[in-house]
Amino acid sequence: MMLRQELARLARGLIADPIAGAPEVEITVVPKSYEDAAAVLEFAATNGLRVMFWAGGNHQDIGNQVDPDIVMSTAGLNRIVAWQVEDMTVVVQPGVTVAELEASLQQKNQTAVLPEAPGTETVGGVVAAGLSGWRRLRYGPTRDRMLEVRLVTGDGRLVRGGGRLVKNVTGYDLPRLVTGSLGSLGLIAEMCLKLWPLPEAQATVRVDDPDRALATAYRPLALIATPHGTHAYLAGTHAEVEAQCASLGGEAGEGHRWPEPMVGSHELALRVPAGDVTAQLRLLADLGCDYQAAYGVGEVKLVADGVTLDDLGTLRDAAESAGGSLTTIRGKSDFDPWGTPPSSVELQRRVKAAFDPRRIANPGILPGGV
Amino acid sequence: MGPTQAQLDTCVTCGLCLPHCPTFRLTGDEVASPRGRIVAMAAIATGELPSDETYAGMMSFCLGCRACEAACPSLIPFGLMMEGAREQLAEDQPSFTGRLRRLLVGRLLNVKWLLALATSGIGILQKLRITRFLPRKLRIARGLRPLRVFPHTVVGVHDNTPAEPAGSVALLAGCIMDEWFPAVHDATRGVLQMAGFQVHSPERQQCCGALAAHEGAGDAARRMAKQNTAAFAGYDYIISDAAGCSAHLKEYAEWAEGGESVAGRTKDVTEFVAELIADGRLPRAEKPNGAVAIQDPCHLRHAQRITSAPREIVRAAGYTPVEIDPDGLCCGAAGLYMVYEHETAEQLGEQKVEQIAATGLDTVVTANPGCEIQLRGHLGNGYRVLHPIELYWESLS
Amino acid sequence: MTLVDDLRAILGSDRVHSHPLELLVYNKDAGVTTGEVVAAVLPETTQEVAACVRVAARHGVPVVARGAGTGLAGGAVPTEPALLIVLTRINEIWDVDTVARTAWVGPGVINLDLSRHTEPLGLHYAPDPSSQAACTIGGNVGANAGGPHCLAEGTTVAHILAVEMVTADGDVVVLGGKAPDPPGLDLRGVVVGSEGTLGIVTGVLVKLTQNAPAVRTLLLTFDSIQEAAGTVSAIVAAGIIPAALEMMDRPMVVAVEAFINAGLPVDAEAVLLAEVVGLEAGVAAESQTIERIAGEQGATSVRIAADDAERALLWKARKSAFGAVAQAAPDYYLHDTVVPRTALVDVITEVYAIGERYDVQMLNVFHAGDGNLHPLVAYDSREPGKTEQVRAAAEEMVRVSVAAGGSLTGEHGVGLEKRDLMPLVFAPVDLDAQARLREAFDPEGLLNPGKILPRGSRCYDYGLTALPGEAAP
Repeated sequence: MMLRQELARLARGLIADPIAGAPEVEITVVPKSYEDAAAVLEFAATNGLRVMFWAGGNHQDIGNQVDPDIVMSTAGLNRIVAWQVEDMTVVVQPGVTVAELEASLQQKNQTAVLPEAPGTETVGGVVAAGLSGWRRLRYGPTRDRMLEVRLVTGDGRLVRGGGRLVKNVTGYDLPRLVTGSLGSLGLIAEMCLKLWPLPEAQATVRVDDPDRALATAYRPLALIATPHGTHAYLAGTHAEVEAQCASLGGEAGEGHRWPEPMVGSHELALRVPAGDVTAQLRLLADLGCDYQAAYGVGEVKLVADGVTLDDLGTLRDAAESAGGSLTTIRGKSDFDPWGTPPSSVELQRRVKAAFDPRRIANPGILPGGV
Repeated sequence: MGPTQAQLDTCVTCGLCLPHCPTFRLTGDEVASPRGRIVAMAAIATGELPSDETYAGMMSFCLGCRACEAACPSLIPFGLMMEGAREQLAEDQPSFTGRLRRLLVGRLLNVKWLLALATSGIGILQKLRITRFLPRKLRIARGLRPLRVFPHTVVGVHDNTPAEPAGSVALLAGCIMDEWFPAVHDATRGVLQMAGFQVHSPERQQCCGALAAHEGAGDAARRMAKQNTAAFAGYDYIISDAAGCSAHLKEYAEWAEGGESVAGRTKDVTEFVAELIADGRLPRAEKPNGAVAIQDPCHLRHAQRITSAPREIVRAAGYTPVEIDPDGLCCGAAGLYMVYEHETAEQLGEQKVEQIAATGLDTVVTANPGCEIQLRGHLGNGYRVLHPIELYWESLS
Repeated sequence: MTLVDDLRAILGSDRVHSHPLELLVYNKDAGVTTGEVVAAVLPETTQEVAACVRVAARHGVPVVARGAGTGLAGGAVPTEPALLIVLTRINEIWDVDTVARTAWVGPGVINLDLSRHTEPLGLHYAPDPSSQAACTIGGNVGANAGGPHCLAEGTTVAHILAVEMVTADGDVVVLGGKAPDPPGLDLRGVVVGSEGTLGIVTGVLVKLTQNAPAVRTLLLTFDSIQEAAGTVSAIVAAGIIPAALEMMDRPMVVAVEAFINAGLPVDAEAVLLAEVVGLEAGVAAESQTIERIAGEQGATSVRIAADDAERALLWKARKSAFGAVAQAAPDYYLHDTVVPRTALVDVITEVYAIGERYDVQMLNVFHAGDGNLHPLVAYDSREPGKTEQVRAAAEEMVRVSVAAGGSLTGEHGVGLEKRDLMPLVFAPVDLDAQARLREAFDPEGLLNPGKILPRGSRCYDYGLTALPGEAAP
C-alpha cells in the first residue's frame, strides 16, 4: 500500500482502473508520455515490482505466464507522431490501433503492411509480439520495416535506436531486437515504420496445388491454404494482375478476401521451414484441426480446441525436428507455450539483463523463462 | 627497375581484383592476391620492409596472368609492375635457381641450335615412348605434341604469293612456337596468304622476350626487343600466333627504343583473322562441324582483352564455341610457372580439366602454346587440343 | 608458448601468418585507416575458428574477423594489436532449398558467386554491394551491407535468416532459423551489422529471391544534379519503388567511362540508372512512367539497355565507381550518409558547396532512391595538410546530412571511420544502451574492440541512480 501511494505521487494521476481481461493487480498505470513510463519503470525496478505491458489485449496469451505487480497500459500513448508521406515512413506510438493507422495511410495509397484483419489490435502489440500480416511473403516480416524505436528500458532509461530512414546501419539494430521481445526489454514507446505504396490492382485466385503455385507465381503477396481450399493473393498493375491470374488459371476475384479469424479458444502457431508446410498440414488434417497456412512463409495458425496434449506434443516434436516450433498465440491451456528453448538462451538472458537488470519487465515471458 | 611510385599509387586497395586472381581463389589469402602483392611491392619500394625470402616467395607465386589488370577500375599496369618487381628481385636476391631460370629464358631459348637439339632429343624420346615414364613434375613434356626429330624453322621463310599482296605480314617465329608448333605456323601462313597477304618470317628475329620479362631478366628482354624492332621494320603488320608473344610485342614501347612502332603494328593472329572474316575477305564454313570448347589464354583475354575473335574464328570454321569458364581463370601454365610452382599449377590445371570434362566435348581450342601444353598434359588421351587458326585452316582444306 | 605457437598447433604453419610483410598486407581494408595485426590466420572450419578465439582469449589478445577486406569503414582494421581471423576459406554453399528459397553458406562465399551458384535454379541473393564480385557474405553480414538493389529488397539483414556464430568464449551458437520467427529474442538481427563485435559468424542461412521474369534498365541523362534528384522523388511519389535508382555526377561518369567504355554520357551533369523488375506487363508500364517523369523533370536523353550484356555493362560501370577514382588522385575518402529522400536535393547542393569551400576534388555516386549518399573526395595524401583538409570537409558533409534528419551510414557500417561521429546521432543514454548490449555478448571486450561505439559510451552511472528526466535525451 505504501508503494502504491508512493507510485501514485510519482505518477501524478496516471493510475487507472483495472483493465478488463488483464491480470488482477493492485496498480494499473496509463502513462501519457515517455517520461511517465520511464518514471514508473524506474520506480518498479528500484522496488522490484514486476510490470506487465498491456496494449490491445489481443496477444497477451503469448509466452510464459507473467504474474505482475503493475499493469502498464499503452492506451495513453496513442498518437501518430509524424507521417513523412514522400519519405514513406511513419512514426507511431504503441497505442495506435492497426486499423486506424492503415486507414490513415490508405488516404495516400500507402500501407505499413500490418496484419490485415486487425480488430482492436494495436501497433505496439503487433510489434512487441513480432507478428506479421499475410502479405509477409512479398514484403517480408514486420521486423524488416522497423526503422527506429524509442524504448523505455526495464530500469527506466528512455533509449533510441535506429533512425527515421529507410536505409540505415548506424549502431546496433535495436529496432529489430525489440520486435517480438514481448516487453521483456521494456516498453516500446515509439516506432518508425517503413511504408509501401499500395498496388494499383488486387486479385484473389483459387489454386489447386499450392506448391506448384508457389513455384510458378512471381512474388505473390500471399498464398494461404485452409481446410476449405487455397488462395493466391496477387497485386500489381492491372496488366500484371491479369497476367498472373491467367497463368495461375483458377477462379479469380477482384480484391483481397483475407481468411476470417478462426473459431476456437486455443490458437497455436506452427512455424516450420516453408518446404515442410504440406507435410505438417497432413498431420493437422489427421487431427481434424482448423488451420490457415501461409505457404512460402512456413507459418500455420491452427485451432487446437479438443486436441489432446499428447497429440499436441507429437505435433510439436514434428515441428521442432523440422527446425521449427509450435507455440501458443491465443488462449490458456496446460500446453507449454514455447516448447524447447533455443540454444542461445544464456545469451538471451544476458541481453535481457542489459536492458532490464532488475528483471521486472514481463519477467520470464520468453522461452527458457528469460 | 622495380615498379614506379606512380604505378604503386594507382592502387586504391578497393579489392575488386581479388576474385579474378587464381592464386587468391585457391588460397583465400590476401598474401596471394594482387592487392597484397602491390602492398608488398610498395613496402619494399619505400624501404619500409626489407626485400627478403617472404617477399620473393610472394612475387614468385604470382602467375602473371594479368586477370587482375582487366578487372581493375584504376587501370593498374600490374603485369609491368610484376616484371619490374622481379627484375629488382633478381638484383637484390640472386638465387641459384633464379639465375638458372633467367639463363634459360634470357639466353638458351634464343640459341636456335640448342633448342633444335633439345627438340630432336625429346622427339626421339617420344618415339621410344619413354615420355610416359616421366615424373608428374615434368608434365610439360607429357603435354607436348609429337616433335620432329629433324627440326626445321620458319625463320627466313618468305611466302611470296600472292603476287599483288593486300599487305605485308611479318610472322613472329617465336622460340618454342617455331620448334614445337610448326603446324600452327603453317595454318597461319596458309590463312593469311589466302586472304591476300604476303607472309615473311624475317631473319635476325629473336624470341619476343616475354618469358625473359616475366622472369625478371630485364636486360635480356630489352636486348631481344631491340633486335626484333629492327627485324620487323618495314612490314605492315606483325602477326603472332602465340597469345603470350603478341601481348608482349604490344608492350614493346616499354622495352625498346622505337618499340611503339612494333606495338602499333602487332596483332594476334586471332584478332587479325577474325577481322578478315568479318570483312568477308576470308570464307566461312558452309556446313556445321560440331562443337568445341574454348579456352581463353590469359594473355589473350586479360592482357589484350581479346575474347570474341577466337570464337568468331571457331564459328567460321563451322563449329559452335562452348564456354568452359565464365571467369577465364588461368589454366596454371603461365610460362615456367608450371615447373617451379608445380603444385599450384597442377591444381589450376585440374580445375580447367574438370571444366572441360563438364562440357562433354573432346576438342579444345586455345591460342597459346603454354596453355596447350598444360591442357594436353592434364587431359590425357582422347582429347584434341589445337589453336583456333588450325581448326579454321583445317575446315578450309 | 606464444600466441603464434598456439595458433600453429591448431592450424599448422601454412595458415598462420606472422611475418611482418604478410601482416602488413592484412593491416587495412579498402578504406584509408591501418591497424596492427599480430597474427593472421585462415581457419577452414567452425571448430578451428572457435579454437583460435579461445587461444586468443587465453593470451588476452583481441580478435578481429575479416572477409575479403573490401569494407570501407575500417570494420576489419584492428584498433589495437589483434589476431585477425580471415574467413575466406570457409566458403562452401550447402543445403540449397528451392522451396523455402534458402541456402546455408560459409562466411567466405563471395556474394556474386552465391547468385551465380543459384542462377540455374531461378534464384539469386538480393543484396548487391558494388563490391559484390569480391566481397564475402560474412563481410556483408558484418557490415549489414547494402547495394543498389536494396532499395526494393532491403539491406543484408532482411536476407539473413540465421547465423552460426562463435561467441566470445569460443562456444558455438545458432541464432535464428529456417522457420519464421524462432521463439525468443531476435539476436540474429542484432548480430547482422555488428562488425564482429558480438561474435564471429561461421555460417549463414541466407534467403534467396526469385529471379524476375523481366528486367528493364534505363540510363537517364540530366543537365543538373537537382533535376536528377527531383526525378528520384517524383518516381517514388508516383508509387513506384524501382529495383534500383542510382545517381552519378559528371566527374564520376568520366572516371568510370575511362575504364569501362560503356558509352556513358561524359558531358552530362548527372546520370540516373534506374531498374525495374517484375512481370513483363508491369515492367513495361513502370519503365514508361519513369521515362515520362524523367522527361518532365528535364532529362536530356534516355537509354534503355537492349539486352543482358548491355545491362551488365551499365551495372559494371556503376559498381566500378570507387575503384575508378584512382584515375583522379591516388587516395580517396568517402562517406556513406543517409538522408530522408525528401532532403536529397538540399543536402546534395550543400555537399557541393562544402567541396568548393574546402577546395577539394569531389566525385559523387549515390543510391539516390533510398537517400544514401557517397560523397567521395579524391586527393593525394602526400600533399601536406591535405588529409586533414579532406577529413574536415567530409565531416562537415556528415554534419549537414545529420542536420537534415539523416544518419552516419547507410550500408558501409560504422567501423572505425564513423565511430567518433556517433554522438552526432545518438545521445549518451542511447550509446550506453548499445554498449550494454555489446557487453552482454562480449564481457571481456575482446571482439573487435574500439569499433562502432566511441570510447566512453558505457556510462556506468546511468540507470537507477539518474533521474528519468535527466536520462532522457
